Amino acid sequence: MTNLNCRDCRDFAPIDVVKGVCHITKTTVLGDAEQCGDFSMMPKCKHCSQFTADAETVEMGVCQASTMEPKFFAFPDMVSVTCEYYEQN
Amino acid sequence: MPKTLKEVLAEAGSPMDFESGGHSPKEMVDREVKREPHARVVKLKDIYMDTLSSANNEFPYWYTREYVQHDTEIPVVRRAMSLKSAFSHSTPVIYPGELLVTHKAAFFRGSFPMPWLSEGYYMAKEDELYQEALKHGSASADEHTKFGQGGGNVVESFDKVISIAGKFGMRQEEIPALLKLAKAWVGKSVDDLGHKYEQMVPDYAVKEALMRNVICMFDSGYTLPQGREVINYYYPLEYGIDGLLDMAEELKAKVAGRADGDGIKGTNRLFNYEAIILSLEGLKTWFENYGKEARRLESIEKDAGQKAEYAEIAERLEWLSHGKPRTFAEAFQMMLTIHLAVLNEDAISGMAPGRIAQVLYPYFEQDIAAGRTNEDEVMELLELYRLSMSSIDCFASTGVVGGVLSGNTFNTVSIGGLNKDGGHAVNRLEYLLLEAGLNNPMPQPTLALLYDEKLPEDFLLLAMECIKTGVGYPAFMNNQIGMTFMLGQYGPEGMTAEEARSWAIGGCLESSPCCWKPLHLNGKEYFVPGGAGQPTSVGVHFLAMPKILEAVLWNGVDQRTGEQVFAPHDRKLATYDELFDQFKLYWQKAVDVLALTNNIQHDIWRKNNMAVITSMLKPDCLDRGHLIDEKGYRYNATFNVESAGTITCVNSLAAIKKLVYEDKAVSLDELKTAIKDNFGFKTAEEVNSFSLSDQEQRDGDTGKWDKLHFMCLQAPKYGNDDIFADQILLDWENFFCPDCRNYESLYAHTMYPCQISVSTHGAMGSATIASGDGRLAGTTFADASLSAFPGTDRSGVYALLNSAAIWDHSMSQNSQLNVKIHPSAIQGPSGSRKLLDLIQAYMRKGGFHIQFNVVDTKVLKDAQKNPQNYRDLMVRVAGFTQYWVEIGKPVQDELIARTEYEGI
Repeated sequence: MTNLNCRDCRDFAPIDVVKGVCHITKTTVLGDAEQCGDFSMMPKCKHCSQFTADAETVEMGVCQASTMEPKFFAFPDMVSVTCEYYEQN
Repeated sequence: MPKTLKEVLAEAGSPMDFESGGHSPKEMVDREVKREPHARVVKLKDIYMDTLSSANNEFPYWYTREYVQHDTEIPVVRRAMSLKSAFSHSTPVIYPGELLVTHKAAFFRGSFPMPWLSEGYYMAKEDELYQEALKHGSASADEHTKFGQGGGNVVESFDKVISIAGKFGMRQEEIPALLKLAKAWVGKSVDDLGHKYEQMVPDYAVKEALMRNVICMFDSGYTLPQGREVINYYYPLEYGIDGLLDMAEELKAKVAGRADGDGIKGTNRLFNYEAIILSLEGLKTWFENYGKEARRLESIEKDAGQKAEYAEIAERLEWLSHGKPRTFAEAFQMMLTIHLAVLNEDAISGMAPGRIAQVLYPYFEQDIAAGRTNEDEVMELLELYRLSMSSIDCFASTGVVGGVLSGNTFNTVSIGGLNKDGGHAVNRLEYLLLEAGLNNPMPQPTLALLYDEKLPEDFLLLAMECIKTGVGYPAFMNNQIGMTFMLGQYGPEGMTAEEARSWAIGGCLESSPCCWKPLHLNGKEYFVPGGAGQPTSVGVHFLAMPKILEAVLWNGVDQRTGEQVFAPHDRKLATYDELFDQFKLYWQKAVDVLALTNNIQHDIWRKNNMAVITSMLKPDCLDRGHLIDEKGYRYNATFNVESAGTITCVNSLAAIKKLVYEDKAVSLDELKTAIKDNFGFKTAEEVNSFSLSDQEQRDGDTGKWDKLHFMCLQAPKYGNDDIFADQILLDWENFFCPDCRNYESLYAHTMYPCQISVSTHGAMGSATIASGDGRLAGTTFADASLSAFPGTDRSGVYALLNSAAIWDHSMSQNSQLNVKIHPSAIQGPSGSRKLLDLIQAYMRKGGFHIQFNVVDTKVLKDAQKNPQNYRDLMVRVAGFTQYWVEIGKPVQDELIARTEYEGI
């Protein structure tokens, strides 16, 4: 769980692409700020066992749960709270 | 230092900084009326004020992933499957303190691209897709659009945020996904397929030239295919999601395999109901997911008050995921979520909520009577609603979002008007809605007051108080004129006088057909109004009259680019009549080819990308089993022809008629040479001001055009009750309005005129050389359709009203008149009375629309210099209100330059 920050936290409600509200502290925090002691991981593709990272482009990958061939792409930073295929690594 | 035009004219004894009806105080004067919303709203509003427009790829990702799996499916079902997947996978986000929840995307002010509509415009400028869009004209308007540099606009990339289309911020990590999704739609989007087929129109080259030269501002089929209409919340309010699912299932079974006398589309009803069911399932899951998030937040919340609120929100959403609303709060939540769902179905501006205080009144009345709520709680929700609606962004091209919308999305709420039985429709909730606009001044929803002589006096005076806050709303629309237009346009589709009373404003100023439906609550029946028509302001969008005149003067050639746009007319233009005749011929040529090409774009849209959710809501789609593409809506004759730059063109024609043809003070050739030479001035781009008065003479200019330029500026101008100029307006309207009937929409109905400028007077003025009225190259056109050119209405505001009312406004969907008034001119109760008298005078003369900017020009000048001090300053632009810092400089300059009335 290295390199995770507030944007990867379940209790971070994104206001915009820079910042969000922390549901724990009720303060506005930067999304790129370091995680704190109350960190709770947000389901994202990058934490999912169905996700295979792309060898060349780090921001891309493949969703192995995709039912089509070739498998549909996925990207690591996508939130997976609502994804029925999500299985945490 | 080169002299500015303002200095040149001051020296000539004709100063431009003209004040009408008195003189403003030397010091800056603030607006008289100021109020504050509830503390909760203030807190959330503080977040809004510091929020960047943000976009992500979640919705397009799931939409596309589902879409590509079903390439053999029936198009309407495939579209609905994609929508269902996208809604079901949208991440819910709730902020502390919210009572009304749901957002377009998982940001406070979020949106997302819809590559199935168009994918080229948001690519990097060096990308081949963007270059292709430029080549065929669909991105030309982008090049003439300037966004406001402040507020929530992400005009430049920074850190890990990439600016897209000059407005939206996206995380750098998502850009590869953005590009991959865009490229998945190349050759398949409405834009691309439309372009493939529109080229088959014989005069397609003219269309492309019109777009490239910004004579027409934009296509409608793939930019904003829905909107400028009134939504209808009736069905979800009356039946709830489960009720609608049951109804659709029942009807599906009833029509499966049956043509029922319609051998072409009768059997389509099966697929349409299936699509409706899929969409409803997606919405149901969306509600449920928000409910789950509220429950999760309740579980982690330590503050008892906030915890209870999360529980209340969760209960509301859980109920609404299947049941019909029982209370005011439930009905309001349903309305908001359904509204956002529609906005996520397509790129949409101007999906007006309509007459919501009349729709919500049954819940309000019964909750108040039962003691379930009180007016203070209702007011808090109404104030929060303004925050939700102001947070709506539309992800579209720079030219569309900046050049037309100025970042606004025109979710207009109408108040006033008449009820089904012909009495006034004002109820207690309408007063509160107006008060909420006073308490929480924000751009949206803007308010449109449907003025009728029957409306209560105290309601109208409350509206004056609201106007005096400087928010620019409510705008006044003439109810009787609106109804006359409705009956004329929609009578052939069966509209009755009773139904005409239900009309409302769609978009910022687009009169839209509605209908009455019987809402039942606890055994009582209420007839509520709601939208029943297709989108308006689709068809021919923003055709710049001054540029058509330029083409007439130069034998079809655009003088900024040198491109032959129209076939040469080779006429001598020996008389004014010959000139005006040619103007009409070029106009007709442009409208004809644009109508055909836009029909093709919309045809692609209706075949592959049709509205399912909006359709389901609109009478009579559910009953008939036909969606928008099969004319399931009650009213389908909604396509129109939209003009721009009317008054700049009228003034130019007046100057040419007077100076060249009547007084013979100058030859047409000499005047053309002076215009081409920009009367010896620099261009607006060089000066970096788009206001006429700031323009500077070129270095070394000999002043050879000074006299002629002065004559052009002094020639008769519209807005002074001077028949010379006003007659030209009358002649134009008497040609333009009926001429629209010569063009047919893809739904086989004749078109009609739409006369609003939105923000196009800035972008289109920027692409236009000087004109015969003395306007200089690149400066804005006169705003709206009946506003005077800044500084030229010198005979008092009542003279302006007389000029504006010279023609029959009921021939048109709208007209638009903006007036700027210094706050000191309408101070106190007597000031309010004077303002109301002025409005009533105009309405009684037959004017359709009037609205006000109550602001001291000195404040605007200071705000332009020190934007950091004016984050919350709002101004009325055209049919909408916007934060000053989010408006582009051309329109800011024009707002500063508008004539300021110091007394009325």
